[in-house]
Amino acid sequence: MKQAVILFAAGLVALIAQSALAVLVPHPFCPDLGLLVVVAIGLFWEPLPSGFALAAGLGYATDVLSGSLLGQHGLLRLLSFAAARLGGRQLNLRGPLPLAVFAAGLSVIYAVALQGGLGSFTGSASEVAASIGRVGGHALVNAIAAPFVALGVERLCSWSSDDDAARRALRLDARSAR
Amino acid sequence: MPDFWRRLGAPIAFGVLALLTTITMVSDRRAIREDAADLPWWQGVVLEIAIPVQKVLLAPVDAVRGAWSRYVDLVSVGEHNDALERRIAELEEANLQYREALVASGNLQRIAAMRDDFEVAMLPSEVVGLDVSPWFRSVLVDRGRDHGVRSGSPVITDQGVVGLVTATSQHAARTMLLLDRQSAIDGIVQRSRARGIVRGRGTGELEFEFVVRGSDVRQGDIVITSGMGGVYPKGLRIGVVRSISDPGGMLLQTAVLASAVDFGRLEQVFVMLHRGPTMELLYGSAGDAGRDPEPEPPAGEPQPGSQREIPTGPTETASAPTESPAS
Repeated sequence: MKQAVILFAAGLVALIAQSALAVLVPHPFCPDLGLLVVVAIGLFWEPLPSGFALAAGLGYATDVLSGSLLGQHGLLRLLSFAAARLGGRQLNLRGPLPLAVFAAGLSVIYAVALQGGLGSFTGSASEVAASIGRVGGHALVNAIAAPFVALGVERLCSWSSDDDAARRALRLDARSAR
Repeated sequence: MPDFWRRLGAPIAFGVLALLTTITMVSDRRAIREDAADLPWWQGVVLEIAIPVQKVLLAPVDAVRGAWSRYVDLVSVGEHNDALERRIAELEEANLQYREALVASGNLQRIAAMRDDFEVAMLPSEVVGLDVSPWFRSVLVDRGRDHGVRSGSPVITDQGVVGLVTATSQHAARTMLLLDRQSAIDGIVQRSRARGIVRGRGTGELEFEFVVRGSDVRQGDIVITSGMGGVYPKGLRIGVVRSISDPGGMLLQTAVLASAVDFGRLEQVFVMLHRGPTMELLYGSAGDAGRDPEPEPPAGEPQPGSQREIPTGPTETASAPTESPAS
């Protein structure tokens, strides 16, 4: 539970940092830290049901900080988590290069799905097609940032699980001492 | 039961969450209404957390930027100052002429009595964060419900229209920019009064769809808000016509606008706390349709405190039909 809370807080901080970073960096060249954290959680977080809840929760937080429809990022982050989990099982995504390629591909699919979803509500398909042309640079930036974000999330996971394990061991020691 | 959960917990969780997100997405109505509800508490909490953290993150950057612009990058300050002084002199002259005209027409007393109606309360706010998704165009400002900001409040700068508040928490508000693809405003060409809808394209430009194919719209024309729709007051600058497309066989003609506001350098904005009336009442009998936008009407005096009051825009005469605030 504590580990999940820590990861959620980390995801939230990543989102807020991304929003602040967007003030300084042109939009397509600002890494999607929120998405990358969800991908990393998909790779390093074990229990699936709580992983889905984490991904959807972070997606909803993204919706609050974005102009998207409420639930749009929630659904896509859920699917991104599932894709990362599946990809992690079929491929070795723990290396920097495969992870970068995966993040780039996922960024493109994510942008297409997001724009397509919005286009179905606003009915501006031509604009959607035009804006998708800008996705390349964004995918590249995400590919570069993905290994670093994954490293951070992995360390966070191992740190919080070590902490939990140490407490459990202490509790066991205390009981046996009694 | 634990065995059942171990086997089917993940698919059930996925299915429930996917259904939940789909339902909220479909039911989320982003149409901006005057009585639009504020964010629920759990969404408000996210905004409330975001604002102070973003301020802290941006503080060093602002400090460096401020030091650079105030103490280092002063090359063009002298020229800029001269230009501003010339501009002030021109405006003072125009102001004097307006006052003379008003006194001559006997309207001054009537105008003075209606002063409160013509001036719109403005709340200065700071942009503390941009949209976390690169595919949407909105900003977070550091003023919220406690400061009187409501969903549907127009947001402007001295350059023109910025957008519309779409969600508020106690101390923060999310503003959808004009550039967002979900944004649509009823606008008119200031010179010819040609009417149309200004839509965001999701990029740095705006699209202006004229209703009438043969409308008189030229490159360089200024497009302003028409005031219809009850969201934006009439006469706020939206943008300048950059190019006009060939209509071909289409019924509607479109133009590309450069927005009046420099969204790349958006730092300070004003939230209009209540919508002001059109300036048409003030200048209604001037008969200035078709003339150039300069000189602009006199600016109001700032009031003490955090709120400032300034008039809302240039003169207009002819009325125009509906405005759609945002889809």
